[in-house]
Order: sequence, then C-alpha cells, then structure tokens
Amino acid sequence: MPNLTINGRNMSVEAAGDTPLLWVIREQLQMTGTKFGCGAGLCGACTIHLNGEAVRSCQTSVSEAVGKKITTIEGLSAKGDHPLQKAWITEQVPQCGYCQSGQIMQAAALLSRNSNPTRDEVVAHMDGNLCRCMTYSRIQKAIMRAASEMRTASNAGTERRST
Amino acid sequence: MNSHVKIASGAADLSRRSFLVGSAATGLVLGYAAVPGLDRALAAPSNFEPSTWYSIAPDGIVTVTCGKADMGQHIASTMAQMVAEELGANWKDMRVQLASNDPKFNDPVLGAQITGGSWSTMMNFDAMSRAGAAGRIALTEAAASVMGVPAAELVVRDSVISHPKSKKSMSFADIVKSGKATKTFTPDELKAIKLKTPDQYTLIGVSVPQLDIPSKTNGTAKYGIDVMLPGMVYGRVVTPPVRFGATVKSVDDSAAKKVPGFIKTVVLDDKTGSTSGWVVAVASTYAGAKKAADALKIAYDNGPNAKLSSESLLSEAKRLQALDDSGQFFVKDGDTAAAFGTAAKVMEAEYTTNINIHAPLEPMNAVAEFKGDILHIYSGNQFATRTGQIAAAVAGIDPKYVVMHQMWLGGGFGRRLDADMMIPAVQAAKAVGKPVKIIYSRENDMTMDYSRPLTYQKVKAGLDADGKLIALNHDVVSAWPTARWGIPDFLTPSVDKKGPLDSFTVNGADFFYTVPNHQVRAIKNEMAHNATPSGQLRSVAPGWTFWAVESMIDELAHASGKDPALFRIELLDGKGKNDGGAQRLRNTLLAAMGLAGYGTGKLPEGEGMGVACVSSQERASASWTACVAHVAVAPSGEVKVKKLTVATDVGMQVHPDNIRAQVEGAALWGLSLAMYEKATLKDGGIEQTNFDTYTPLRMSQMPEVAVNVIANGDKPTGVGEPAVTVIAPALGNAIFNACGARLRALPITADAVRAAMKA
Repeated sequence: MPNLTINGRNMSVEAAGDTPLLWVIREQLQMTGTKFGCGAGLCGACTIHLNGEAVRSCQTSVSEAVGKKITTIEGLSAKGDHPLQKAWITEQVPQCGYCQSGQIMQAAALLSRNSNPTRDEVVAHMDGNLCRCMTYSRIQKAIMRAASEMRTASNAGTERRST
Repeated sequence: MNSHVKIASGAADLSRRSFLVGSAATGLVLGYAAVPGLDRALAAPSNFEPSTWYSIAPDGIVTVTCGKADMGQHIASTMAQMVAEELGANWKDMRVQLASNDPKFNDPVLGAQITGGSWSTMMNFDAMSRAGAAGRIALTEAAASVMGVPAAELVVRDSVISHPKSKKSMSFADIVKSGKATKTFTPDELKAIKLKTPDQYTLIGVSVPQLDIPSKTNGTAKYGIDVMLPGMVYGRVVTPPVRFGATVKSVDDSAAKKVPGFIKTVVLDDKTGSTSGWVVAVASTYAGAKKAADALKIAYDNGPNAKLSSESLLSEAKRLQALDDSGQFFVKDGDTAAAFGTAAKVMEAEYTTNINIHAPLEPMNAVAEFKGDILHIYSGNQFATRTGQIAAAVAGIDPKYVVMHQMWLGGGFGRRLDADMMIPAVQAAKAVGKPVKIIYSRENDMTMDYSRPLTYQKVKAGLDADGKLIALNHDVVSAWPTARWGIPDFLTPSVDKKGPLDSFTVNGADFFYTVPNHQVRAIKNEMAHNATPSGQLRSVAPGWTFWAVESMIDELAHASGKDPALFRIELLDGKGKNDGGAQRLRNTLLAAMGLAGYGTGKLPEGEGMGVACVSSQERASASWTACVAHVAVAPSGEVKVKKLTVATDVGMQVHPDNIRAQVEGAALWGLSLAMYEKATLKDGGIEQTNFDTYTPLRMSQMPEVAVNVIANGDKPTGVGEPAVTVIAPALGNAIFNACGARLRALPITADAVRAAMKA
C-alpha cells in the first residue's frame, strides 16, 4: 500500500500504483476540493502541488507522487486565508466555482516563485486552466491583488527583521 | 410572443395561500401554508407545516431556503438579499441552503422547480420581499408586546428592533428566544403589506459579499460529484458511437471481471428515451470502474442515425425550408408576399450556426440510493420537478417517493435541465443494491450532450424606394429542444393554428423593430431532432435568431446606404406593440455607441466597429442589450477582437457587482460561441470528445470587455443570458466594417473571413 504525504500528513492508501492521484485524493481520501474536469490534462480543474510545482492530478499516478510533498486546496493555508484565497473573496471571483480550486493552486505556484508577475506572465501561466463561467478578468485581478499583498507582507517582514 | 409558461396551474398560486410565522424546535420558521386557503384556525403553530422559506435560529442566524439551482449566478445569495432587505436583517446573519425537490419549494410563478430563462430574480422578487416583510412585522409585534411599547414606534435595522424613545432594544435572537413571534397573514393581509420603495433600500442595490463565495475558494462547497454515501460504489458509463438511436446487441465482460473490485455490468433499460445503448460498469472505486468499462467488449446496432452528419442535417434543413407548407408561424403581421411585390429592393441571405456543447466544467454526475421506500438522488440539477419524475420512471416507482437532494452546480448553462445522468445512477443502484455514484467522463459528457442544435435560417427582406424596411420573412429550421421534454405547457400555439411550436427556437425573431409586414416560421428539423437530441444552451434561441436578424439588418443598412446604428434607431420607433420596449432598446444602443466612441473618429486600416442590439431572452422578459464590437482584421482573415462594449438595461439592480459578473461572463460566452466553439456530427456521432478539439475561450483570448448597466428602476430583468446573444452579430458586423467580408456562418473562422474578403 503506497504511502503519500498530503498536506503535511502521512497517509496510506489502498490503490494500484497506476491509479491517477486525483481519484485517490477525491474519492478515497474524500478531499473533494480538487476537481475532475477532463481526465486529460486539458482543463486544470484537478491542479495540485507536487513539491510546490503545479501539476494535473488526473495525469499524475500514485507511484509518481510517492515520496513527494502533495498539497491540495485544503492544505494551501491553515484557515483558507492564503493571500490568493483572500483576494478571490475580495474580487468576488467565483461564479459556479468548480474550476477555482485548480485556478488558485495554479496561481499559487506562480506567486511562490514570482511575487511580481506581469499581466503577460499571469496569462501564460494560467492559460491551461479553463473557466467555463469565464471569470478570467477577475482571476487576473485577484492574482495581481494577492501578489501585491505578498510583496507588502514580505517587505514588512524584512523591515521588522532589520530593526 | 409567448408569455411565461406555467406548468401546474393553480398549485403554486401564492395569492391564495396564508403566510405563517411560527415557533419550532429550531427557532422561528416562516413560509407559505402548504395548502391553499388554510385559515387561521388551522394555522396554530403546533400543527403547521409551512413551506419553510426561511428560518431564524435562537442565535439570530437567518437561513433562506433556495428552490432555485445555483450554478454560479449566486441566486441563493440573491434570494437571501431580497428577504433580508424587507426583514431588516444584518447581512452578516444571513445564510442559504438549497431546497429538495419537495413541491413546496416550487417557483411561485412557474409552479415547478426549474431554473432557466434568466427568470429567477424577476419572478421571485415580490414573493421573497413579502416573505421578508411579513417576518419583520411578526418580529416587531412580538417585540412591542415584550417591551410594552407601541409597535409603530419601533425601528428595525441590522437584526435589532429598537424603541428610540425608551432606548429599549431587542435583537432578532432575543425575540426568537421569547417564543412570542407567532402570526398568520391571510392572503389579503399579505398582499396589503406595503413594501419598501427603492429610496428606502439598504441592501438591494448594494453589492453585498456573495454568501457562497468563501466555500468556493477553500474547496468546501459541495457539488453533486462530491457526494459520498456509506457503502457507495461507482459506475462508469460506456456510451455508443452514435449520439442517439443505438441498441446494445451483446456485452462481453469477461475481461472486466478480472478487474479488482469489479461488481457488475448493467445494460440500461431506458423507457424515458433519454439514453440509448448505454452500459454501466460498476466497481468499488471509480478508477476500477473505469478499468472495467475500458475492458468491456460491446456490440452495437448503431440504429437509424448512424450515417448522418452535420452536412446531412443542413441539407435536410434547406429542403424543409424550401417547402411552402413546412413549419408553423410564430409571427404573421401584414402581408409579406404583397409587400415584396411592391419593394424597390429584395434581399435574401442564409445564416447558419453549428452544433455547440454546454461542457460545464463539472461533468454530469448523480448518486442514487434506495433507502426503504424512498429513492434518494443527489445531484446539481436545474429542473428538479421533471428530473425527479424521470428518476421515478426508470426506477419504476411513483415520483412522490423520490427525494432529490440539490447540490451546488459546477456550471449549468442549461445542460442540467436534463435528467439523463439519473438513469445510469438509478438503474445501477437498483441492480447492485448499493448507493451508486455515476460520473461521466469528459468524453461521455461531450458526445452525449443535449447540444445547442445546428440551425439554418433564411431571411428575405424588402426595402422601399426610400430604403425603409417594409417586409421581412424569417424561417428558422432546427431541432426542437423544448418539444423533446414532452410537456405541452412549454410549447406555444402557432399564430396560423397549425398546432403548438417550440418558441425556444424562435424567441428573439419577434423583435422590437417596426416592420409592417413580418413573418417568422418555426420549422422542426425532424432528422436533427432524432439524431442530435438538443437542449437549452445559455440564451437558447436568441443565440441564433439574433445572429440572423442583426446581421441582416446590417446588410440592409448597407444596401440602403445608411449607417447601421442609425438604421436600427429609425426602426426602433416604438410604434404599436413595440411601444416601450423599442425606446428602451434604442436608448441602450445609444449608450453603447456613446461609450464605445462609435463613429467619432476614423479607425486605422483593417479595423472596424459593428453594432447589434437584442431583446433577449423572450419578448415578455427582455433585458435590453446592445454591443459595439471593435475588431482588427489581418489580410490572412485572422480576427483580433480589440474591445466589446456592452450596455444592458436590467430594470432594477439587486446586486450590481453580480450583474457585471454575469454580463461579462455572458459576453465572453457569446465571443466563445462566435469564434472558438464548434462541434460536428459524423456517422451519427459527435466528433469532439474533449477540450483539445472543443475549445472554449481561454484567458489569453479574452479581449477588453466594458460592461455598462442601465437601471431605470423598473422591475428587475434577467442578466445571465442576454449578453451571450448580442456578441456574434456585433462581431460579424464589425468584421464587415473592417474589411468588407460578410460572415453568415458561426463560428467565424479566419478561413471564412479570408474567403469572404475575396467574394
């Protein structure tokens, strides 16, 4: 039985190694924030982090995930208060909301390595994530807002440390 | 010119029902009496069971039950907003929950649980407002008696009732705990309640935070696909190569039986005609069910539609249109034949749209569980009333034994008006004796969609010597999505008394332009109807009728040497039956023109602007919407959409920010359908199976969209759909303005633009 590290917890799962990680996370572990959209890596609804990188969990097998750090929307922040989640609420991004876990996880991977992206960088990074309600402009605004908040927080942190 | 449908006349008539406020173990419950005419004597709090529209718990939390499907339009939150305004509740105290399919949650106007047509806010505004006001009155009277002050001296604000003179106050929570708030309103008393006037509003017109949004940022919102029941197993659907008409000849599941966790193969026996030739592989996990499904060897008889293609559906449409006795008339004003005889110029054009797929991001799914006498189904569905009936039919039980548990919808767009997903869930659950969750693969979802039908429209128009439009014939040939439901009340009598027609194929063609001789004919393409069972896709008919009308109006303007926008304004003279609507549409068009800077400067070579204006959805429920599209067209035919300026007159804004979100989403849907989405039929099957070949608009394809909302204080109209319909014609007209290429087929492709440039 493979052992997975999900959101900081060690979990033993009953699944063949070639099972898509998506179904193990959703149906076996019942962490349903990660969504099934296409099963082919074309829509981004199932995006999670593997060692901090955004990947499509429908295209990632259980055996590929063994020994790596898996993060889902449920583990992105302790209280749903990641700067992106807060910005998603401020900008009132979701309509049906089904793609938004994947959108947030995809965006979080970008901001973790670049907290000052240009609009073009955001578009290039997010273009694989479909939103059928077409909330794209609010997604962009929310990413920019979160990036700005993260920069402010990190500047403040730097200042505090330096004094 | 259909007015609103009413499915079960009388049953939902709130004008004959009492409104009850009473105490229950859970706090205060408020709602309409379940039985019309229930009088005071029967309404004692001990034995009443109202349709609970909302409740107030002892901690002051107000929970509104929403009988509408919430697919991202935030209607549950909007219902709470309407109640909270009149109730005087603090927005922070408001919560929502989704209703079951119990008839007591039926729409007060429609008499059923159905969500569509951009009807919800418009049709529920009065009932929800009165429910809120009745609650405030009951709470106020209770507070007056506890405080010993006259009720008229009390002020209700932010969930607190205060008496300024004595400085006494009670919170809603205090009053609920006192148990004093019990009151029955007769229908007449309810009707006599004076609702707030717009200048008194504190919540309506305010963009309060949507109550469902936080749960959609942290993964906690529960959609149908997220339902988990104890002992539940999984079903994977295997669908045949043709969209409809196949039968299963044999199934060899010997290889499937070797898959760990495999339980059973179920060949569906569907007497409702929703599915044909479907098989379900049931296993203990979804991954196992997929493996088993992939291992099935199924032999099909592909049935009567196996040789049909988009081309055959189109040529059949043309054949039908050419026949004089085809179809039925939706509009028949004046005498077009005589007028064409006197016209100085007669023009004809054909407009087509291809098959389109809903493709909500949450694939169709359902969970079914037989528990005692009751069949429980869990799904997000737009038409709980009919869906419950279909689930009952395939289970072989009375519909009253079906409970549908409504979930959040991961996109609806009309797709979830249908009930096909219930059939594999119910029959598999019956076959294996356990709860079964069915999840369509994306391939199932796309190839078995109740698609927007392929449409063929022929328009013939006559101008007099002054270039004035005097006659218009408009034939619309398509599958009939609503006729498929088999519910007579959803059909519309034809004006030539040739039997009912499906007005959801011609709505919009009954426009607000004044054309003295005007005919609209609805022609059912039986071949397409059988081969590609169609559905209601966001905006339905106006998504194609305005493509034809607004393109033709542009062609006529150019033929008469007039500016296309000014040509429209002349036609929107508000004469006769068009009085009121025409003026609002004219004003909206002028607003869009002004905001886009239409006609104010010379555009660079290769750029153009085009206009369109629409009265979608239905003539009786129009939101007046106009668009100015600004495009740049390369010599290769490549079109770059630079900006879409949309203006829409929605009467009253309950939630301005939500209206902007809906209109922007709708406009981008319109663009996606106009340029990026195309499905095709070949050998009886839909060729596109996933998002690699069926390609809705992505972030990189999004142009600048400027949304301008006009709210003149009239009753609120729908906002989720109209903007879908205005984009395609505005784009086509802008492309013509930019390069002289006239497009008459959707979607618009670079190849088609380049070919039309040379024509």
